[in-house]
Amino acid sequence: MNEYPEVVAKIANDYLERLKSQLRLVPAHEQVDFLREIESHLYEAYRQTPGADDVTRILTVLRNLGEPAEVVSDRLPGAMVRSGATRNLPLYVVGGILIALFGLPLGSAGVGVLVGLLAALAGILVAYYAVAGSFLLVAALTMFLGLSRILLPQLYDRLVVLGYVQMNGPVGNFLDNFSPASQGLLMILFASVFAAGGLGMLWLGKYLLRGLRFLFSLTFDWMRRFAQGVRRKMRRGNREAPQWSKVSFAKR
Amino acid sequence: MGVLYDERHYGYSLVRVLSEDGSIALKEGTVYPILARLDRDGLVRSEWVESDQGPPRKYYALTASGRQLFDALSQELDVLVSLVQRKWKAAPPSEPARKKLVVRKG
Repeated sequence: MNEYPEVVAKIANDYLERLKSQLRLVPAHEQVDFLREIESHLYEAYRQTPGADDVTRILTVLRNLGEPAEVVSDRLPGAMVRSGATRNLPLYVVGGILIALFGLPLGSAGVGVLVGLLAALAGILVAYYAVAGSFLLVAALTMFLGLSRILLPQLYDRLVVLGYVQMNGPVGNFLDNFSPASQGLLMILFASVFAAGGLGMLWLGKYLLRGLRFLFSLTFDWMRRFAQGVRRKMRRGNREAPQWSKVSFAKR
Repeated sequence: MGVLYDERHYGYSLVRVLSEDGSIALKEGTVYPILARLDRDGLVRSEWVESDQGPPRKYYALTASGRQLFDALSQELDVLVSLVQRKWKAAPPSEPARKKLVVRKG
């Protein structure tokens, strides 16, 4: 900036400071790189902007460049930039903690731990739905028994004689205190409780499913980005020296 | 991307090329976020080059994948332009033209 008149340098530096303050969340080396680029732009633009008054020239340059917030809009961290879709923040935090705990320190082994963890979570999900299914099955059978005890007592007695229904022990003793109709009502009551439990588990399961789906997508997204980063580094390492023979911009 | 297809540019020279015939009016600063995104996505590569007239310049050029994407996008645009140029007659609306647009939330 020492080639500018003092007042122009002051205005340009002030702009760069404002720009820098917008880049607080950007890694230091990217900040330096970006500020150098804008500094270069200011120099080129100022040099090629006509006008006798220095202040008017630099102000024109800055006006054409735009507000610092516009200029840095894509330099903010990826998660903030790609915020077009609604994200579930708590789940994102959980996913981030999982990756930070297992993925980053352990490297490739961390990927294995993550995959194992996700497999375990998937197993829990399967077990969860198995329990919900069992609840509904018990509810259906108990409902059938209760209704048959009230409406078709012969069928119920036949099932008991054949051994399909065994009302022994404390449950049998408890039910013996009631009339057949009351026994049936009690069974229907139990069936309703189990049905409510099973349906409730199914309803809550959608949240569990959504959370797990999120964790899976987050992990796969992280793996994809990691692989892309490695591939890009390898490509940059292997690429041949660029041929910069043609520069179209004419120096004035 | 089209400007960077055959030759490299630094930010300010890119702005000049884009706006020199007045066909594109842009805030100059908006070029840098776009270049940053292209760089991050591996569609352009950048390099600092010393300048004999002031601070160094950061030059950008399209990578192979950038060229590939640009070609694909150009083809899509060609198809779109050819469709528009065929001047299809719009089908008569099945409902009254002044029907209110209903925007559903969620």
